[in-house]
Amino acid sequence: MTITVEGVVEKKGFGTGTWALVSAEQTYELKDAPPELQQSGKKAIVQGIIREDVMTLAMIGPVLQVESFQALS
Amino acid sequence: MKRFLLLCLFLLGLGWAVSNFTGLATQGTFDSIVLDFREDLTQTEIADRIRTIADQYQVVPQLNSKFSKDDNIYVVRGDRDLLRSLRRSLRQDTEAIEPNFIYRIDTQPMNVAAIILGDSNNFPNDPLYGKQWNLRSINIEEAWKETQGEGVTVAVIDTGVSRVPDLKDTEFVPGYDFVNNRREASDDNGHGTHVAGTIAQSTNNGYGVAGIAHRAKIMPLKVLSAGGGGTISDIAEAIRFAADNGADVINMSLGGGGETQLMKDAIDYAYNKGVVIIAAAGNSGENAAAYPARYPRVVAVSALDSTGNKTPYSNFGAGVDISAPGGLTQGDNEDGGILQETIDPATGGSTFAAFQGTSMASPHVAGVAALIRATGVDSPDEIVAILKESSRQVAEDPFNHFGAGHLDAASAVQVALRGQISFRDFFRWLRESGYLSPRFWIDGGAVALLPKIAMVLGSYLLAWFLRNYFPFRWGWSMAGGLIAGSSGLFFLRGLYIFDLPQWPMRVMGSSLPELGGAIQGSSVLNPVFASVLIPAVLVVLFLGHPEWKWLAIGTTIGVASFLVISAFISPAVWGLGSGAIARGFLVINALLCMGLASLALKSETTIA
Repeated sequence: MTITVEGVVEKKGFGTGTWALVSAEQTYELKDAPPELQQSGKKAIVQGIIREDVMTLAMIGPVLQVESFQALS
Repeated sequence: MKRFLLLCLFLLGLGWAVSNFTGLATQGTFDSIVLDFREDLTQTEIADRIRTIADQYQVVPQLNSKFSKDDNIYVVRGDRDLLRSLRRSLRQDTEAIEPNFIYRIDTQPMNVAAIILGDSNNFPNDPLYGKQWNLRSINIEEAWKETQGEGVTVAVIDTGVSRVPDLKDTEFVPGYDFVNNRREASDDNGHGTHVAGTIAQSTNNGYGVAGIAHRAKIMPLKVLSAGGGGTISDIAEAIRFAADNGADVINMSLGGGGETQLMKDAIDYAYNKGVVIIAAAGNSGENAAAYPARYPRVVAVSALDSTGNKTPYSNFGAGVDISAPGGLTQGDNEDGGILQETIDPATGGSTFAAFQGTSMASPHVAGVAALIRATGVDSPDEIVAILKESSRQVAEDPFNHFGAGHLDAASAVQVALRGQISFRDFFRWLRESGYLSPRFWIDGGAVALLPKIAMVLGSYLLAWFLRNYFPFRWGWSMAGGLIAGSSGLFFLRGLYIFDLPQWPMRVMGSSLPELGGAIQGSSVLNPVFASVLIPAVLVVLFLGHPEWKWLAIGTTIGVASFLVISAFISPAVWGLGSGAIARGFLVINALLCMGLASLALKSETTIA
């Protein structure tokens, strides 16, 4: 199931660092974020799927596998 | 001629023995080095040098005290090798680089007769151990006295484990890479190697940092890719692999997703095979542990900062079983993190990195579970019960931030050992049940053993030498005299009976010449006792007695030996100082004693 989330990209300091999308309600862990999205403070609308079958070392929230995104800043 | 040769040989031997005796002074020992930087260097220049030292040798020089800043005096942990290297590389920048010798009040190094129940004060010698607040906060040093995880296997289900230099001495058992489907399970992220380091980093190897159960074996199981994620199917397979291949403990510093039957079955399978499973509670700051920590048969670990508070990121509440240090690195402040050696994924090389997360808290509990397992507790139920029972309870914990409490390695191992008798327990039992400590206490350091043995042997050599001239038969009286004159029952001097005065022990433990100072406990010799006077009186009194004369003669020879050895080692005599006069006095009296013994033996053999 594809979802769309608007939020701010942040790098979370777990392990060697993990990219996250922080929305008003929830923090998502970005899986396979393209390099253009990997910028702290970048506002974006991300489309992707929630991977219920994936576990991660960062454990910061649901895993959002990026399919596409639209930069807002 | 033969006798003259024997005499020469004897004197040569005695002289050699005495000249080789180093006395009671030891060689200086040190475990740190003093760096005195030049006064004209600026603080920035000094900071530069310190950074270089830290990078090059993995040790961090620190100000000796708050008063040392003006003088630029820094201290760094290190040995002779580091001392040499630093002298070579920092000659230009320093006024002095010297060993920081350890001065002890107890200058008698010969405590071989003591039963030492404490550890050496230099364990572990890993130079960055000082930065591992997390290990001290779980009381690891006390636990290490009992066990270091021998014979236990811990499976690390993570991003793989690479053999960085500080894992070189750690034992590995074969694992598997479920991401790339191959036997070699090396790390391409840095997380798994860090986690394995907390559990079993090579310790007391003079390099880097320490690990909790450093004699345990690591089974590397790679389920997370370089990006840090992995599938539940791979993780479930890894759990089964660990259970089938002899793992005793599983650590899973990972989480996410929902409940699945596949994972639940794998966990039950491993649990029923006797494996203890530990997992991180998760880093989303939520009021519930994440999966797999949330499964009932998994111990869920929340993360503490260096002050013992729950970290802001750590999950809490439902499912959390126990808390352990996870660290908090804010901005560039790495001191609050958990420091281990891992790989730098950018270069593939090794690096010391401070991480934070419940990922770091979980391996603390896995390491302590390995320590408990190593004491002989097999059942996962019991191991989990011990982990919880031994933790330090937090009185006010309305949100269940801490589960049963803060992890405590020392207490866990103690609870685990309850009901089992180890060598150390045996001594503790002796002490606690009144067989040892409440009655008496032996301090081997109180007796300078080597000189005493030299005195007894010396008296026998002197007697043997005299026997060449005046043949006599050895007897118990003679032997008793030799001991009474030379050393006394010296071992008694280290014996202390609680609530009783020690002077009777000192008197019985003293030789005849020492009796003058025995009651006061003085080591300075009394010239009346430490002379030919008393032996002469004894010989005159007992020469007519068939048995006691041997005691008198033996005592005279024993005193001669004592006086000679004392003249070389500790010649302090009342009123004569401890210099040449005292030495001369002792040597002359020793010769007089020998003369007296010869005369007595001569008269004896003439009569016979």
